[in-house]
Amino acid sequence: MSDPPEKKGREPGEMTPEERARFEGRIADLGDKLGKVKAQRDADAHADLDAEMRGRGMAYGMRMAAELVAAVIVGGIIGWGLDWVLGTKPWLFLLFFLLGFAAGILNVVRAYERMQREFAQRTGGNIGHRVPDDDD
Amino acid sequence: MPDPIHQFDIHRIVPLNIGGWDVSFTNASLYMLLAVVLTIGFFTVATRARALVPSRLQSVAEISYEFVADMLRSSIGKEGMKYFPFVFSLFIFIFATNMLGMIPGAFTVASHIIVTATLAGLVFLSVLVIGFAKNGLHFLKLFVPSGVPVFVLPLVTLIEVISFLSRPVSHSVRLFANMLAGHITLKVFGGFVVMLLGSGSFAALAPIPLAATIALTALEFLVSFLQAYVFTMLTCMYLNDALHPGH
Repeated sequence: MSDPPEKKGREPGEMTPEERARFEGRIADLGDKLGKVKAQRDADAHADLDAEMRGRGMAYGMRMAAELVAAVIVGGIIGWGLDWVLGTKPWLFLLFFLLGFAAGILNVVRAYERMQREFAQRTGGNIGHRVPDDDD
Repeated sequence: MPDPIHQFDIHRIVPLNIGGWDVSFTNASLYMLLAVVLTIGFFTVATRARALVPSRLQSVAEISYEFVADMLRSSIGKEGMKYFPFVFSLFIFIFATNMLGMIPGAFTVASHIIVTATLAGLVFLSVLVIGFAKNGLHFLKLFVPSGVPVFVLPLVTLIEVISFLSRPVSHSVRLFANMLAGHITLKVFGGFVVMLLGSGSFAALAPIPLAATIALTALEFLVSFLQAYVFTMLTCMYLNDALHPGH
């Protein structure tokens, strides 16, 4: 049970100044490495988000087109059917075609509002980035 | 050139005829059945252990539960969870059939409008039934927006009715068109590779459409999921209208 000679006169577990310097160096190295990994990970996450947003954007675009066209078609079919039943060709078809167009615009506006709300929820209201303009 | 539409052909596997109706078991039926069997099999195996600390399979099942449950809670609120089985089945069915369709040579069920129209029609009818059952005639307030001057009210109501009737159309067309267009594009680009390979020195260009095909396949996986998500999301929104008419 004899202590090694260099440990004499110190608390067990205490470091010599050289050991401390080496230890601190290692911590700094580790910090650097961690920082690099973190930066890489953030960049990756950003790229993922970008791809996801693009996919979502495409889905939204298709949705807008479908909303508009569907309402026009439904309006047209209703008008055509009423014309066929009432024998008023082509007036009700024309009227309902226009109404269908109005309904389509309404659909698109509503879909857009919902999309804005969803987007604001996801990003905390920061849409795009701020660009200085003449008023600033 | 290989026909890009050929992949959507329906052929009978077991011809059946009941009372003059052709109800044959086709390749479309096969893939729908496959999707249902695989889904039931997956969730049976995944939830068998019922561990507090989930295994990988179990956590996939839990994530899919949470995903749909969150959608319902955020767009309808707590009482939306009553419709969870319906919405979850819809989502998983569309997702499973879309993913099965991504296997080369497989059949994509949602690329036929009759399938998506049936699903959208089901949602539409559910909204009508739930709306009238929960709110009675108050459900009709959905078509009469508040704060509109009386003299344009008939016109606005008419437009609202058309807008409401157009829902199942856009609901079904969106899913159908996305799946159809995506799979045709994949096939066309795949066809380019084959054509270039068989055309002498132009074969050197074949890697270009091949790269495009690979990129499109990745995109198509994303679209398959997103469209299942969008379909489910819209179902939630329509159910919300049924429960809370009057914007």
